[in-house]
Amino acid sequence: MTNEAPSAEVRSDRPAHPRASAPNLARDTRPFHRRSAFRSAVLYAGLPLAFGVYASVHDGLTVGSITGYFPLASVDLFYSFLRMVAAYALSLGFALAYGYYAATRRTGERVMIPVLDILQSVPILGFFPFAVAILAAATPGSFVGPNFASVFLIFTSMAWNMVFGVYESLKTLPSELKEAAETFRLRGMLLFRRVLFPATVNRLVYNTVLSWTAGWFFLVEAEIFTTNTSNALAGIGSYLSFAASAGNGAKFLAGIIVLVVLIAVLDFACWRPLSRWADRFRYDTAPAGEGGGIVTPGEHPGRIRRATSYVTRGVRSGVSRIRTPFVQLAAFTTRPGRPLKGPRRPIAYYAAAGAVLVFCWIMLIAIVVAVFGVFTSPIAAPVRHDIALVPEAMGASILRVAAAYTICLAISLPLAIVVARSSRAERYGMPAIEVVASFPATALFPVIIFVLVPYLTPNGAAILMLLTGMMWYLFFNILSGVRQLPPDLVEAARSYGLRGRQFYRRVLLPGIFPALITGSITAFGGGWNTLIVAEYLSLGKSQLSVIGIGQLIDIGNALGGAGNALMAAALLTLVATVVAINELLWKPLYRRAVERYRYD
Amino acid sequence: MAIIRVDHVDKSFPTRHGTIAIMQDITFEVKDADFLAIVGPSGCGKSTLLRLVQGLDHPTAGTISFRDQRVDTVAKGMAMVFQNFALFPWLTVNQNVAFGLEALGWDPERIAAQVERYVSVTGLDGFEEAYPREISGGMRQRVGLARALAVEPTVLLMDEPFSALDALTAEGLREEVLQLWRDPQLPPEAVVLVTHNIEEAIQLADRVIVLSRRPGHVLAEVPVDLPRPRDRKSAPFYDLTDRVYSLITEGGAPPSPPAAGGTVPPGRTL
Repeated sequence: MTNEAPSAEVRSDRPAHPRASAPNLARDTRPFHRRSAFRSAVLYAGLPLAFGVYASVHDGLTVGSITGYFPLASVDLFYSFLRMVAAYALSLGFALAYGYYAATRRTGERVMIPVLDILQSVPILGFFPFAVAILAAATPGSFVGPNFASVFLIFTSMAWNMVFGVYESLKTLPSELKEAAETFRLRGMLLFRRVLFPATVNRLVYNTVLSWTAGWFFLVEAEIFTTNTSNALAGIGSYLSFAASAGNGAKFLAGIIVLVVLIAVLDFACWRPLSRWADRFRYDTAPAGEGGGIVTPGEHPGRIRRATSYVTRGVRSGVSRIRTPFVQLAAFTTRPGRPLKGPRRPIAYYAAAGAVLVFCWIMLIAIVVAVFGVFTSPIAAPVRHDIALVPEAMGASILRVAAAYTICLAISLPLAIVVARSSRAERYGMPAIEVVASFPATALFPVIIFVLVPYLTPNGAAILMLLTGMMWYLFFNILSGVRQLPPDLVEAARSYGLRGRQFYRRVLLPGIFPALITGSITAFGGGWNTLIVAEYLSLGKSQLSVIGIGQLIDIGNALGGAGNALMAAALLTLVATVVAINELLWKPLYRRAVERYRYD
Repeated sequence: MAIIRVDHVDKSFPTRHGTIAIMQDITFEVKDADFLAIVGPSGCGKSTLLRLVQGLDHPTAGTISFRDQRVDTVAKGMAMVFQNFALFPWLTVNQNVAFGLEALGWDPERIAAQVERYVSVTGLDGFEEAYPREISGGMRQRVGLARALAVEPTVLLMDEPFSALDALTAEGLREEVLQLWRDPQLPPEAVVLVTHNIEEAIQLADRVIVLSRRPGHVLAEVPVDLPRPRDRKSAPFYDLTDRVYSLITEGGAPPSPPAAGGTVPPGRTL
């Protein structure tokens, strides 16, 4: 097995400038691959161990009291694992079929890719209460409904990036290879085995690892959410939630330990060998996975082609680390190579946009109320009161997500720059960051909710949970942005004596701007999805509840049939807000980023 | 007198399979009013050598001095023109040219005046507010040149400056570089050009240093005393090209006599 990264080799024509091009600038960026396995193993073991030591010192827990819960925790974890496997199998089939069809049929592509883009930008978790309610109503008294709903939810967190992986690797298959296959008349199965499958497998494996990470996060969140309802799903999330609400430290710890063990086993037994195997299928000289070089814009005119080339470039620059909401749609209205004109938008523009947005909220709410008033029984007074709170709640949620985003940025920007630019920080920091990032932070939500609230205040706890749902998107995007600064630009900056603040202002920050924007888009997407648990959780006597759109959706769900109007109004408002923010804020910024800040 | 002195310089890189020697025992000088070209086959360390000279990288052994001062950090008084331009896509032509001046901490009015002058000298008038991707490759390299000249370097370093351009554009730009070089009003007292194009080296330079294959060492120092403007089709030009070519291909063995006739096609590069 060859483990040599091509980027580590000395390039023959210019072996020099190791300082500027420092090995860490053009390095494999895939998270779970080729890192020091030993360090990761130590960290995997250390994480629960540290918890255990802390707990035993703090609460006087004994080893026996923890291990006693292992069987129960393992059974619940097994249920969760089955859901993950089912959702992954669905995602894989969907990705291959959808991606292949979209990549090979022109008409399919024209519709399918924008549809996918909208799908992935909608906060799916918001629909989860609805899905649970509908499927539970369809299968009364059985666990089939909620199970279907949770598998579907996990599917939505796994599928999109895999579809884009398949689609893009087929689209970017070098035309020489396609022509070679044609001249040798490869068809059918042989074509699939020799050309199409090898073309997709590398990206597919890479995205599989990401999908499982995202999947765990959503799985645990969905299970925690069902503990709000009468029929909680058996699974590791609800297990942890119940353990924390009962104040049972030993039980909680046992759950965390088995979860960490499973994630570590999957990492070592599946993802690492799989990634190594998939490496053989690379047909380019770029570093593995998403850490590719710069893609030159295609010569073909036409919006789809152009969009495709942006998709590719975005993905190559690590953009769609997990998902790329609206990135492709943004590309549709972009004309590459044209100078950026148009004045900067004044504050008044955003104020007006905000006013229009609030007006839309009110209209949507009015429509929902009217529809429900006409088609179902009149809406009860307390629900009416809650519906009136929707605009205020939405505002509160926006502020909360924005606050969490600001904190994320303040942490991940310097962290990513240090990790990318210092080989020492990279060597010791990356394994730790990868292990921590692979662990679903939602598993710790019960602790935040039931233990930390007195220290953090409910709002602080909610923001902390949002942080965990947003942080890694931002961090990994910025990281790959810094790593992919072209070495010759870094060298030119050094050559002209630029350093310190000037270097950051003139070179580094503009250089990572596109990655920063995509990181922000994905982070916000993660934030909207986390709201649903971060703002409301009620278990026994303990409760976390802060005014917000996630809270209202949850309250509506908890009210059963009477709360449907509230749920619908809150959900529509959330979707309208997300779409509006994407349209008015992120799309223009992304367009600006690709116009001015890409390298070519 | 020597502006730059490269004294018994070695450079090697550690790899997983041991150390690779890039160059060995390189010694030469850059004198006042010198246009020096360094030619050699791919991988002989030409570009590395240029980076060592500016202090972007450090030699494994030996010393490099600039005006009798040892180069151990990025040296002021030298400016580099890069093969792939290394222009910042988010800065306009003007801002790219101003880049080095800002790093020197000049005040804005002085920068503006200087930028205006060098934009005009390099024939970039009218493109001041364009972004690099909006202009052609030849224009981009003019920006690279203007950026380097604007800091008024003592020595101009050029790393394969014409390699990324098409043949016609490269030819035109070479002529212009020569004209700029001969203009006494303009700064560099010496130029070091790295190239794998032998004809280019002979057309432009006063002296050509010929490096061997890896590990690179100096095979010969060939003075070019042809009168300017140099005619590529003239016999002396041809003979010189042939001599350098033989030096490289034969790794320093004396050139075989019959080769001088015309067996080497013009435009041969390594």
